[in-house]
Amino acid sequence: MEPILRIDDVVKKFGEVMALDHCSFDIQAGTITGLIGPNGAGKTTLFNLITGVLQPDQGHVYLGGEEITGKKPHEIAWRGVGRTYQIIRIFPKMTLLENLMVVGKGKERRMMERATDLLRLVRLEEKKNDYASDLSFGQQKLLSLAQVLMLDPQLILLDEPAAGINPTLQNELMALIHRLNEDGKTFIIVEHDMNVIMNHCQNAIALNYGQKIAEGSCSVIQRDERLLEHYFGR
Amino acid sequence: MKIRVGLSIAILMAFLISVPFFATDYWITLLTLILIFTVYASGWNLFSGLTGYTNFGLAWFIGVSGYVSSLLIADYHWLWLLAWPIGALFTGLVSIGVGYILLRIKGVYFAISMVALTEGTRELFGTEYLTPLTHGGKGVPFVAGIRLPTLYWSILLLAFITLILCYKIFSSKFGLRLIAIREDEQAAETLGIHTTKDKIIAFILSAFLVGLAGSIHFTYQNYIDPTFAFNIQLTLTPIVMALFGGVGTVFGPVIGATLFTFIHEILWAELTLLYMAIFGAILMGLILFFPQGLLGWMKEKGILPRSRKI
Repeated sequence: MEPILRIDDVVKKFGEVMALDHCSFDIQAGTITGLIGPNGAGKTTLFNLITGVLQPDQGHVYLGGEEITGKKPHEIAWRGVGRTYQIIRIFPKMTLLENLMVVGKGKERRMMERATDLLRLVRLEEKKNDYASDLSFGQQKLLSLAQVLMLDPQLILLDEPAAGINPTLQNELMALIHRLNEDGKTFIIVEHDMNVIMNHCQNAIALNYGQKIAEGSCSVIQRDERLLEHYFGR
Repeated sequence: MKIRVGLSIAILMAFLISVPFFATDYWITLLTLILIFTVYASGWNLFSGLTGYTNFGLAWFIGVSGYVSSLLIADYHWLWLLAWPIGALFTGLVSIGVGYILLRIKGVYFAISMVALTEGTRELFGTEYLTPLTHGGKGVPFVAGIRLPTLYWSILLLAFITLILCYKIFSSKFGLRLIAIREDEQAAETLGIHTTKDKIIAFILSAFLVGLAGSIHFTYQNYIDPTFAFNIQLTLTPIVMALFGGVGTVFGPVIGATLFTFIHEILWAELTLLYMAIFGAILMGLILFFPQGLLGWMKEKGILPRSRKI
């Protein structure tokens, strides 16, 4: 089967620093993949390359078999890639409803219904006319996910979705991700909490110094000597 | 509520339309200036208030359009009614190129590059190289053959259209996208917003409206020269007016322009020697205590609803 995302020999340098060093992998549709690695391993850079925020110096990115290298972020978004940020980047001076309505095209009424449905999904419907800045940190993360869902993306990139939120909300968020995954959405999740990765992802890809050092199902990754060495400095 | 607001606006408009039938020239002139600056401030707010790209080159829009229309009237004997929109259209067209290049630069760099563009154009229009076209630094005196009431009604119509446009845009999805650009441009892009396109459209719209008011402004003055047309005052005054009334609100700039002009007139008439000092003190106080402007403050305090339609 054609992978939903193919990263092919991607290189990205920042000056002398190799942020991504000939990195290649495939993501199959309908999976949840954990992207792991120490700080500075190139995880966020990879997200930036997939979403078109940065351009690779070398290599190609394919989405559903079509090359998207060099495309603008808004074009890639409309091809079905949604992304949240490590630091929450919602629009604080807009209401929750406006935060969703600003995303997406189409008839006003249909969008309004969709936005309301999504706010209900993340249990923020009652606050829909509040300013986003009035939400708690965890709620802002949920809002940011709902915002991305307005694009109806096939591939969703989440940068540390569970970091800094309380366990209840964290469980709620992960349950939501599983539900969306059952509906056919593909996820790539950057996360430092190895428990989150092991409990919720089918596959994992490990990066270090911009190189892929391990890839496979979570159970295999967990026993990878080289990874453990890199990751935990054993 | 809606009917009451509509009725109030209708009464106000009827009053403003009838002003030339009973008021003295002093009052018509004062209102004309308020309306010109209302369009300047609203046009600035339409782009800068929403996108957060502070445009310090408003005088460039005003000067370019003012020059085109003034020269068409003075040298080519065009009718003012034709010359004005041609000046504004020309400004809008040139703004596509300017926006395409300069709207990639963010923050203070964009502001400075717009100042540089204005100053550069001012110098250029005064040089001997362009003298055959612009008459150089000595300027262009001209008579457009328009009576004061007609000019007043023209700018009244333009101000009315500008406010309706702002009202529509501020509460539209286009307006929301512009606010998203102000809040976080990169996040907006990855959420599928074509930020470059939206920024340029807002920039052109602002250039056209401000340019049209600029054409009317210089026809009213019957004179244009480079120092006058590309004067930094023409940039700063509308920005201060918008700050005064509330940046990013629909009706802030018109309220700002009105209050500003009246306070200015009163101070100037009563305290001719001290008025600039007092005026400066008032401005500093406003910026310190009401940074969100009059309407912004009223919305925050709950005196007005927190609606994008106000």
